[in-house]
Amino acid sequence: MTDSQGLPRRNPAAEPGGDAGLAVLLARVARGDQPAFEEVYDRMAGPVLGMVRGVLRDLAQSEEVMQEVLLELWRTASRFDVAKGSALSWVMTLAHRRAVDRVRAEQKLAERELRAASAQIDYDDVTEAVEATLERERVRRCLGSLTDLQRESVTLAYYGSYTYSEVSGLLGVAIGTVKTRMRDGLIRLRDCLGVE
Amino acid sequence: MKRADTDLHTLAGAYALDAVSDADRTRFEQHLAGCEACAQEIRGLREATARLGASAAIRPRAELKARALLAAARTRQLPPVAPDAPARPGRGPASAAIGAMSRLGRRPWLARLATAVAAASLAVAVAMGVLVMGAQHRLHADQARGHAIAAVLSAPDVIMLTAQVATGGTATVLESRHEHSLVFTAAGLLALPAAKSYELWLMGPGGSRAAGMLPPPKGGMVGPMVVAGLAAGDRVGLTVEPAGGSAQPTSAPILMLGLGS
Repeated sequence: MTDSQGLPRRNPAAEPGGDAGLAVLLARVARGDQPAFEEVYDRMAGPVLGMVRGVLRDLAQSEEVMQEVLLELWRTASRFDVAKGSALSWVMTLAHRRAVDRVRAEQKLAERELRAASAQIDYDDVTEAVEATLERERVRRCLGSLTDLQRESVTLAYYGSYTYSEVSGLLGVAIGTVKTRMRDGLIRLRDCLGVE
Repeated sequence: MKRADTDLHTLAGAYALDAVSDADRTRFEQHLAGCEACAQEIRGLREATARLGASAAIRPRAELKARALLAAARTRQLPPVAPDAPARPGRGPASAAIGAMSRLGRRPWLARLATAVAAASLAVAVAMGVLVMGAQHRLHADQARGHAIAAVLSAPDVIMLTAQVATGGTATVLESRHEHSLVFTAAGLLALPAAKSYELWLMGPGGSRAAGMLPPPKGGMVGPMVVAGLAAGDRVGLTVEPAGGSAQPTSAPILMLGLGS
């Protein structure tokens, strides 16, 4: 579903009951329901593409990965289990893992290091042309509530696709500290976003 | 290398961010399998990362959609995993985090297929190609028409095209050059006043040929309609015409679909 400008009309996370709707759609997709798949595409192609581009930077590659992810949703929809987490989380987890795998397979650490310095500010950069500014603002505000080290650890890992030991090297902080900051940072983000 | 559980537990954040090595992931997932509190925490952290990722949404180029739908129509789906099947390790976060079984999938696979086929749209039937021949009588009461549809669906060169109708709704065309036929379905079309009807056309280099009036929708769905006589260069057009139909289109097409080759 899109509005007149072709923008995604809904953010699955922001819309009340939206995630349940996505879960129902996935259940229909699992039964081979093509119109339901089309709706899943309408809802999730934008969030998946935006996130993947945040990781890969290259738009053409990101489009490829987005298409792979959507096809994977079609193929494996029967594996989605509402008891194990939200539909949004299932989709974004699958997509993020794909993007990270792609980066790690194709880019040497040295190349990724070049981008390291900009990883934390690029969050602003990749959020152009986004639909739900409300949700984006909320996430941005919640990221702002993290300590600098928590935020850097989380964004370097999520958008920079670094492992915690790589982040440790990049930031010059002990491995144990980085692991703790990642966990604490995500817990704070989770609480701030009101995830139950 | 053995480490204390408390140490392993601090890996939760890095794991939820996919910021772990493969070895770490395997180790942590083994730990997760026996630690409900940890699994619970991962669920919460994954919601946070999902929101972080989704908030970066950008608009995909419009043409990517048709490609995705076509790819899906050509791709077999995985059946649900049996309830007692052990989770296979090392198959990525989806299999590990999502586990073996969908709640919605507890019915046996065959029963679910039957349900799906009974409720099927044509696109579903395509996705389940092998079932089409056996199940087409459920899809269509009219046997002759059913055979014609089945011939298109099972043609080796069948192609699916989907597009928005300008006045609202979505149309899907499955066409086979080999069979010189196409199957048309639509959903969510704008309801027309009694004096008007939708008419389908084959629009080729030599002009437009009437291909039939759309039947009234059932449950929001129109069709499936079989159109024979597809020629090279034809595209499918839809117009709004006076209720009885026209010999030639009298209004601008609200849909044009086709490969044109």
